[in-house]
Amino acid sequence: MARPVVEKKYSFTERIYLYEIVKGLGLTWKHFVKNFTASLKRGPHTVPTCWQYPEDRREISPIFRGEHLLLLDEQGREKCVGCGMCARACPAKCITVKRGKVAEGEESRYAGKTYCEEFQIDLLRCIFCGFCEEACPKGAIALGKGYELARYTPGECQLTKEKMLANYRREKELGILKPPRKPVPVAGAAKEAAAKAKGADEGKAKD
Amino acid sequence: MNDWVIALIKVVFIWTWTLIIATIMTWVERRGSAMIQDRLGPNRAGPFGLFQPLADGIKLFTKEDIIPEKAHKILFNLGPILFALPAFSAYAVVPFGDKIVIGGKEILLQVADVNVGFLYIVAVGSMAVYGIVVGGWGSNNKYSILGGLRSTAQLISYEVPWGIVLLTTVMVYGTFSLREISLAQQGTFLGFLPNWGIFKQPLGFILFIVTAYAEANRVPFDLPEAESEIVAGYHTEYGSMRLGLYLFGEYVNMYTLAALMVTLFFGAWHLPYVDMSKFLSPFAYGIASFLVFFAKVAFFLWLFVWVRWTVPRFRYDQVMGLGWKALIPLALANLFITALVVQLTV
Repeated sequence: MARPVVEKKYSFTERIYLYEIVKGLGLTWKHFVKNFTASLKRGPHTVPTCWQYPEDRREISPIFRGEHLLLLDEQGREKCVGCGMCARACPAKCITVKRGKVAEGEESRYAGKTYCEEFQIDLLRCIFCGFCEEACPKGAIALGKGYELARYTPGECQLTKEKMLANYRREKELGILKPPRKPVPVAGAAKEAAAKAKGADEGKAKD
Repeated sequence: MNDWVIALIKVVFIWTWTLIIATIMTWVERRGSAMIQDRLGPNRAGPFGLFQPLADGIKLFTKEDIIPEKAHKILFNLGPILFALPAFSAYAVVPFGDKIVIGGKEILLQVADVNVGFLYIVAVGSMAVYGIVVGGWGSNNKYSILGGLRSTAQLISYEVPWGIVLLTTVMVYGTFSLREISLAQQGTFLGFLPNWGIFKQPLGFILFIVTAYAEANRVPFDLPEAESEIVAGYHTEYGSMRLGLYLFGEYVNMYTLAALMVTLFFGAWHLPYVDMSKFLSPFAYGIASFLVFFAKVAFFLWLFVWVRWTVPRFRYDQVMGLGWKALIPLALANLFITALVVQLTV
């Protein structure tokens, strides 16, 4: 049903415009003064609605999913064992992993018995879903906070192992790494634990 | 120095000065609008973004100069020139200060003190519409020609109340010379008000400022280039420095109109209640009068920007209705009342 048109009754001051225009000028003047005084202040981000991008940066979510990191453990060894679970989980099929055996005398560099010889992520294909991070059994890959992903050539968009390690080191230095994920309880173990708790409860009830 | 050299210096000075003001106004417009809309505006080029107009100029000059294939070549080239030329030449009769004494020679701060200054301004100011119409027609584009048509209708309707208001001020001061009108505004009116035109012609001032906005094609009367309806109106097909001339001409027009407003209604170079020539040396007085005049003009230039970012555009029929049904009757009533008062008091 069509809404009936209601003709608005304008008052005299509204019909001669001028008074209303002066009121409007007052409103814009208030905004002008507010922003003008704010822009004169020193320091970044003084005008609340404007982010002066390269200097001011917005705070991003602690669980932001940006450019990938390849994590190291406490002893500075690579966590990745090159199993390729991330590549399998990836819906965009942008990850290539090549597994390699850790050679004699190189154990201090790698946490596992195997490692990834090659680890490549095609950022042009990546959709930043974070499934690789979830799939990784070792917690070796994570999505970091980097969001400036513009590059000059397609080749530069291939994220190599070195770049990902560098990303990790940079974010660690800046202290913006997200806390390690809590281990997801394995289904069987969880059941057992639940049964144990139940049994204990029942025992208590018997007493 | 003979008179020719002095005249030449004055012409060059006011030419460059107008250009500088128009350039700075583009910056003021962009930053002012940004501040009003809770943004910051261009602040990267130079301190406070002051070199932005320079960057814009370089951009406009280095862009490819395109003439559309189906456009009328001659008219297309003529349009911007016809628009900018009257804008620049209209300022010739508007004073920009009282007089300055250099080397014992008295120099009037006005390019030409023509005793028909008013008629010159009306005649030259109306020429600007040719630039818009010719450009719009020559572009061979439906939006351009719509813009041209609108500007013709608008400028013709608003020229009438504008002319009547000018006539009213002529009646009040009894002269066509803008310099004599400025000089007549010294002292006080009714004993306590500054002897400015606005206190003698309050309605005249309101009518003048409204019609001036329409004459300058500024919001709320920027129908010839209403971007939400007809893309960019008459300059849709223009690019590079041809477009630059159109945009620049608009600011020069604004400057002339603001100077005219100050000359007619805001006491030109006179400060209220203070006669500067009494205690300043002739040379300092010349500079002070120029600065006072310019400060007033600057306020009206800012008002142009301020109103633009406050008031939305009127619909086409509303503009025509306002012009014919409100402004012309009011201007005529103002004319008759003024005539009556002048007749009874003189």
